Amino acid sequence: MKLVDSITNTKKEHISLVEKIKSSEQAQCFILLALPIIGFLVFTIYPIIWSALKAFYYYDLVPSNTRFVGLDNFITLFKKGSDYWRAWLVTFKFGSIKLPIEIPLALVLATLLSKGLKGSNFFRNFYYLPCVISLAIVGIIFSNIFDAFGVINSWLSKLGITEHPIDWFGNTSTAMSVLILGGVWSAFGTNVVYFTAALSNVPKDLYEAADIEGAGRITQFFKITVPMISKVFQTILLLAINGTLRTGEYILVMTNGAPARTTLTSEAYVMKTFLPGFSSGTPNLGYGCAMSIISSIICAAIGLLYLRATKKIADLY
Amino acid sequence: MNEIKVNKCEKIVIYLVLCIVLMFTLFPLVYVIASSFKTNVEIMAHPERIFPEKWTFENYITAWNSDALDVGRMFFNSAWFTVASVLITLITSSVTGYVFARGHFVFKKTIFAVFSSLMFISLGSITIYPQFEVLSLINLNKSLVGLLVLTCFGIPVVNMYLVRGFVESLPKDMDESAKIDGCTFTGIFFRIILPLLKPIMATIAVLTFNGTWNSYIMPAMFTMSAPKQQTLIVGIMALKNSGQGASQWNLMLAGTVIAMAPVLFVFAIANKYFVSGLADGAVKG
Repeated sequence: MKLVDSITNTKKEHISLVEKIKSSEQAQCFILLALPIIGFLVFTIYPIIWSALKAFYYYDLVPSNTRFVGLDNFITLFKKGSDYWRAWLVTFKFGSIKLPIEIPLALVLATLLSKGLKGSNFFRNFYYLPCVISLAIVGIIFSNIFDAFGVINSWLSKLGITEHPIDWFGNTSTAMSVLILGGVWSAFGTNVVYFTAALSNVPKDLYEAADIEGAGRITQFFKITVPMISKVFQTILLLAINGTLRTGEYILVMTNGAPARTTLTSEAYVMKTFLPGFSSGTPNLGYGCAMSIISSIICAAIGLLYLRATKKIADLY
Repeated sequence: MNEIKVNKCEKIVIYLVLCIVLMFTLFPLVYVIASSFKTNVEIMAHPERIFPEKWTFENYITAWNSDALDVGRMFFNSAWFTVASVLITLITSSVTGYVFARGHFVFKKTIFAVFSSLMFISLGSITIYPQFEVLSLINLNKSLVGLLVLTCFGIPVVNMYLVRGFVESLPKDMDESAKIDGCTFTGIFFRIILPLLKPIMATIAVLTFNGTWNSYIMPAMFTMSAPKQQTLIVGIMALKNSGQGASQWNLMLAGTVIAMAPVLFVFAIANKYFVSGLADGAVKG
């Protein structure tokens, strides 16, 4: 017996690495996950550490200029970063007008679409159509339509509403209106799809019961539809808020901050000031890192606040 | 029992609302597409007309031969870059989704949780600098290939969830019997699971196609010093930002329609994958 044992043992030792991997599920799992794990360390964790450290340096890509400045970047940001804080105000303004239009609009449309009427899918697909178009293209489409010599201005003057063409992108409030209009246009379809998916899980007999009880459509909407989807609603709203707070690319392609950088949201401000190819001159990246850290903290804080505030709503049902 | 009883009057109101929103949705697209077939003179002189007086392909011919917007080359760049990204994403999403659905290994839950948290942890766009720094070590920071390398190493969190959910819904006895027959963990993926993933792979493919073709900021930064590699979207935005765009609406409009065409085409034939992918990702995830 001992002899047999020792023979198999030596055989085992001679089993090649390939054989070992072949027989071990665990080893295969880690090999299959190698790319994402390496990628996570190199392209996610390392950049976060890099940015967190660089926030305490003056750094403009020239090694000899790099120096440790302690909290200076943060101090500058809080004392002299009025542009950045104004960009946050713009972000809040943009979100607080856009979301109250977009979300109720999507919810109402989804409610109408889930009544099972003919052509519901047709309408839903077309509402979703703007969402598949590149934001850059959305920017071009809207700058064409709202061009000083574009279709909207010429219709307005034909109808006798305006005498002179409106310079839509030359004035902060009109530029903001175009931004909100384009923002709703290019995003409400996604929320319609989300809400329709959520509504399809609401049992139909609830409405029948309500009909028998004599509840009107409006009552049904607020007493059945809204509570039944409250949990999904909470998630959809979180996604929408998060997306709006991080709006950056969209602003760059629509107004690029015009007029005079007054329509830049916080993310767009960071992009336009620090990103290669979008910034002018050599920015102090350490300052940009400090800014990004503060931005992330603000976004996370708003997200957490939102979750706490809506906890009761989600538990409604 | 899908239908809720709706009376006629309500029906009319509902369709009216739906149609008004539909007009609001379609107008910008229809206007821009129709305008691209106007002559340059008509674009300037008659912006109030939706449809051109005389349909012409003039703008497309101008765009094709123009130096300011090299449509042919840009289209080619967009095409190969998008196809490569889709293939890479299909591989990485299916493999990671499968491993997390069926694999048994240490720290599985931890790794999954850490990967999932990626959706929420982000320092924003500034992290492009350290990513550039790493890629410059292998001289890939200035080309679309570098961006593809980044895609290889990226973790497609939403897709990973979609595949994991799909694999978990498949019966386990098939891979168990394959295991008894001596098939390895990796072998089971290629021989049994992968062929069954077709519907979810189609969803991931169309969503990735859409996202990549449309992307602007990342390809813009990666082609900054290699303008010959500009994708169509990057090229059109460069023309718009150059200030010449406003005087060359004919060129811009033709380019815009060309840049939209593949996406609209894919949406027309595969819209159910867009919608189901979105709905699954949101409601289940």
